Amino acid sequence: MPLLSTRELSKRYPGVTALDGLSIELEPGVIGLVGANGAGKSTLLKILLGLLAPTSGEATLLGYDVRRQGPELRQFVGYMPEHDCLPNDVSATEFVAHMAQINGLPRAAARERTAETLRHVGLFEERYREIRGYSTGMKQRVKLAQALVHDPRVMLLDEPTNGLDPAGREDMLDLVRRTGNEFGIAIIMASHLLGEIERVCDHLVVIDAGRLLRSAAIGEFTQRTQVLAVEIEGDAGPLAGRLAASGLRVKMEEHTVLIGIEAGQTPYDAIRDTVADLGLGLVRLEQRRQNLEDLFRTPEREDADVAAG
Amino acid sequence: MTATTERETATAGAPAPAPAIEAVSVSRWYGNVVAVNDVSFALGPGITGLLGPNGAGKSTLLHMLAGFLAPSAGSVRMFGETIWKNEALYRRIGLVPEREAIYPFLTGYEFVLLSARLHKLPDPEAAAARAIRIVDMGSAQDRAAAGYSKGMKQRIKIAAAIVHDPEVLLLDEPFNGADPRQRLHMMDMLREMAAAGRTIVFSSHILEEVERLAENVLVVVSGRLAASGDFRQIRKLMTDRPHTFTIRSSDDRRLASALVSDTAVFGVELGSDRLTVRAADFAAFAHAVAKVARGAGVSLFEVLPTDESLESVFSYLVKR
Repeated sequence: MPLLSTRELSKRYPGVTALDGLSIELEPGVIGLVGANGAGKSTLLKILLGLLAPTSGEATLLGYDVRRQGPELRQFVGYMPEHDCLPNDVSATEFVAHMAQINGLPRAAARERTAETLRHVGLFEERYREIRGYSTGMKQRVKLAQALVHDPRVMLLDEPTNGLDPAGREDMLDLVRRTGNEFGIAIIMASHLLGEIERVCDHLVVIDAGRLLRSAAIGEFTQRTQVLAVEIEGDAGPLAGRLAASGLRVKMEEHTVLIGIEAGQTPYDAIRDTVADLGLGLVRLEQRRQNLEDLFRTPEREDADVAAG
Repeated sequence: MTATTERETATAGAPAPAPAIEAVSVSRWYGNVVAVNDVSFALGPGITGLLGPNGAGKSTLLHMLAGFLAPSAGSVRMFGETIWKNEALYRRIGLVPEREAIYPFLTGYEFVLLSARLHKLPDPEAAAARAIRIVDMGSAQDRAAAGYSKGMKQRIKIAAAIVHDPEVLLLDEPFNGADPRQRLHMMDMLREMAAAGRTIVFSSHILEEVERLAENVLVVVSGRLAASGDFRQIRKLMTDRPHTFTIRSSDDRRLASALVSDTAVFGVELGSDRLTVRAADFAAFAHAVAKVARGAGVSLFEVLPTDESLESVFSYLVKR
């Protein structure tokens, strides 16, 4: 059974089309969701939670029809919203245990699961303090814990690293990855940061102006290209000159010489020997990969941007 | 530790013009809380990234650079003059604050025009139109800002900050909320402004972006300046941290034994499909690797430094 399946899913608001005939099918895994602001990411997440009815089309999550089976579906779904949504005047323990009970866990089980989940997300002594004094990183952890406490089968995370500093980001990404891999919980994570999607996700869905632009394994977005990059300490000019003279196609980019590989060519030894002969410092030698960012290097589309409300 | 930038040493001898921005032993405290603690640096034209954990004092520092906040001790100078209460200098600075400092009931154009009028520009309409063109918001300029996405609000804030064509632009987390395409566009825009000779300082948590955009970094940790300069130079000064490379070759085992006998190398680990090499001196290893491989008759397929990114420099600075 697929994790998620949508067919011709559309959502129109007066004057704005947020989703426009979106059809995707996804297998469980850690899935990244990317798109321009206003491309329809948040609308899709709300429809998948069964909180917003699509204008037309169908969607199922875990096999449940999101339109008719919202309440049944939601007991298997955890949701981490993007915005600040935590009450200030209770502790993390009280809040997460309350959310567990709302999700149907008996009081004693809710208490136990809360302790386990807060430990998993890395909140210890501070879990008995009021949330108002928490740092951004601690609040993000509480938001993740409440999405996880009822042991869902899928979690929807909306920009989980928002506002975090580098160490906090690293911790959160690690948590997301571990939650996906160790607990086997499917994860759909919306983010603007392609670097973090590449690090955590195994599948990427790109939506643009409410339609599916591409859905594929991460590896397919970052395939090797037929370009070798050689980074040199100091001036790359002499190296580029020698390699060009030996019949290779080369291009310079600051301290890096880019070499186009033709079919059947293996310029590795020529590069090694030229570097050695010229007495240069070899900092990096690698076959270039496609970049996730290349997807977005098309001309600016302001109309897609404008649709954001 | 502090790394001196090449730019600083280059200008030190000449009868140099005063640096665009200079902090001299600047501190700022709020009651007993010390937000910025005895920070000194000088910056010239180009892009500088301001980094640090949450609460390290980045915003406090930016506000002092902008003349919005008086230092508790020390002084901030711009083009050689103290900036605090120096209104003439304000015309030469633009600040893009982190908060959504934009009136929702104004259109984008009205907001930028308001900023142009506050600066008493001779032709505010033309200046506003020019700034909006730079941030590429022309098609949405007549809609109320309340309906803008985060990325659009960010661009209008930048337009308002550059309407008077300032020589110094300070931006607090300018990429927040921007989608991938908007990020690329904003990076190009900042690069162009820097190429035109402006001094740009921006704070960010996204180290990959800082690495691509900034030639210079300022790293603030717990209110103190942990490092400043080109992060690659900073990395080279961390001599207590070995440089690590991974290598793929035609014969890893043979290359490993050849590398071990080279003085630049002090550790080699043989993995299933790659070799991990630790070297004390980055340049010495870079110069040795091709020669050693050739001598051993091994083809090099891939050589990757794994410990040279801004991310590893930053984590070393924050941990110490």
